[in-house]
Amino acid sequence: MISMEEAMKKPLPTPDGDSAAFWKGLHTEGKLLLQHCRKCGHIQYYQQGYCRQCGAEDLEHRPASGRGKVYSFSVVYRAPGPAFKGDTPYAVVLVQLDEGPRMISSMVDCDPEKVAFDMPVQLVCRKAADDITLPFFKPL
Amino acid sequence: MSSKSKETIRGKAAVIGIGMSPVGQVPGKSPLWLAANAANKALADAGIGRDQVDGVLCGHAFAAPFHRFSVALSEYMGIRPTFSNTLQVSGATAATMFNIAAAAVNGGLAETVLIAGGDSLLTGMTPDMALRSMTESRDQQYEMPFGIPVSNTFAMTAHRHMKDYGTTAEQLAMVAVTQRNHALRTPGAQMTKPITVEDVLNSGLVTTPYHKLDCSLISDGGAAFIVTSAERAKSLGIKKPIYIMGGGECYTHEHIFLMPSVTTTGAVQSSKLAYDMAGYGPKDIDVAGVYDCFTGTVIMVLEDLGFCPKGEGGRFVQDGGMTYGGAVPCNTNGGLLSFAHPGIPGALFHFHEVISQLRGECGQRQVAGAELGLVHNLGAGFATAATTILGTENTL
Ligand SMILES: [Zn+2]
Repeated sequence: MISMEEAMKKPLPTPDGDSAAFWKGLHTEGKLLLQHCRKCGHIQYYQQGYCRQCGAEDLEHRPASGRGKVYSFSVVYRAPGPAFKGDTPYAVVLVQLDEGPRMISSMVDCDPEKVAFDMPVQLVCRKAADDITLPFFKPL
Repeated sequence: MSSKSKETIRGKAAVIGIGMSPVGQVPGKSPLWLAANAANKALADAGIGRDQVDGVLCGHAFAAPFHRFSVALSEYMGIRPTFSNTLQVSGATAATMFNIAAAAVNGGLAETVLIAGGDSLLTGMTPDMALRSMTESRDQQYEMPFGIPVSNTFAMTAHRHMKDYGTTAEQLAMVAVTQRNHALRTPGAQMTKPITVEDVLNSGLVTTPYHKLDCSLISDGGAAFIVTSAERAKSLGIKKPIYIMGGGECYTHEHIFLMPSVTTTGAVQSSKLAYDMAGYGPKDIDVAGVYDCFTGTVIMVLEDLGFCPKGEGGRFVQDGGMTYGGAVPCNTNGGLLSFAHPGIPGALFHFHEVISQLRGECGQRQVAGAELGLVHNLGAGFATAATTILGTENTL
């Protein structure tokens, strides 16, 4: 059980050995890095030490185009705890990136109630703390 | 590999005692009290003493600080088991406890296993904290920063199901209406007022496509069971042992964005394993408990369990397939949507109901002639799936 004080704050990622490059890419270059497997060609999100398709360790970070489509979404009216109460309604999206992988994000710079299936979207980087930038999306 | 050629748990373990604490709003009672209260009732139902329990399996409780709930419960009840664990695969935990208990009593790890859960999500936590605690189960790096409630992961799957198969908001609502009708006949159910499809659609959006009444309850409560070997059930002279006929699990992803198909779940694989082990198929099931954290979840899982073709779950529910007189009466106690949902014990209530149906003890909500039952549990945005098939002596 988390404390009430903790529950008032928005959760932020704590980068680890697997993900440090990913979060650095967003924060310092505004780039969403995907891992490309040099052995089997698999492209993966999120960042980790092994290719999830073939198990190889030979992975290369390459920036994504930042473009994708809304594969599914859900507009949140009842916030998951106090930290997000001020943001409702907001659209959480399951984005299918042009490169193939899917990721979870939420929409900015748009009316959440206008979000639709297959809507083209574009990456937007937003600073969330001194050392953390989060990847959001806006309509393309 | 044919399951017939290998040794399985089929018919080798039996549920000999069941118990349930007061449920719904139960102020002033700790998760351990709720679990112990249910456990004492299950022991009395089996006609054995706590000194005869040598195995204890539990799930975690959100409102209790114990990392080892099963060990804490043992201490609380004065039991010193030689087999114990606190399992964590979210909503699928309950079915895994039955599968593991069956394996334990047949593998010599334990003779008599107490399965128990208790939690007080309603009165033991504020609503904000209960919701936030459940959200803490999402990934801290790639999911939580975007304000994704666990409800949202399920909502996105149902939403895509609506787009791909034409499932409607009315069909989702029909799940809630059907189960509310069931709850009206269940003593102790948390929700006892009839509802209509319009009531569901007008109950306010929580996270699209879900309205308040598409979402399961937040409750207090506990449930417990005694599982032993089929031989021991006989030697104890148990009147109507209910046998564990088959079990299966499936774990397809951890992050919702890595769910292989957003509209087909691990229930396909977990139920196939359970059906194959039991030697029965979906058409043979007389009564089912289908994890119903949200209405759309039920529709998707009814398809994946083979009760209707993929994509036709909405119509199946609308046509009465999941109620009395339909293909398979489901969640006859009202389920998590209308009976109670205190976390882990919620899925245990599905077991309590299906076992009660197979024992013929459900009074006015009895499914006539129920001999074979199925419980499917799932959790964490369909990351976890577990199925257990239970049957009377006639199904052995
Ligand atoms: Zn690879």
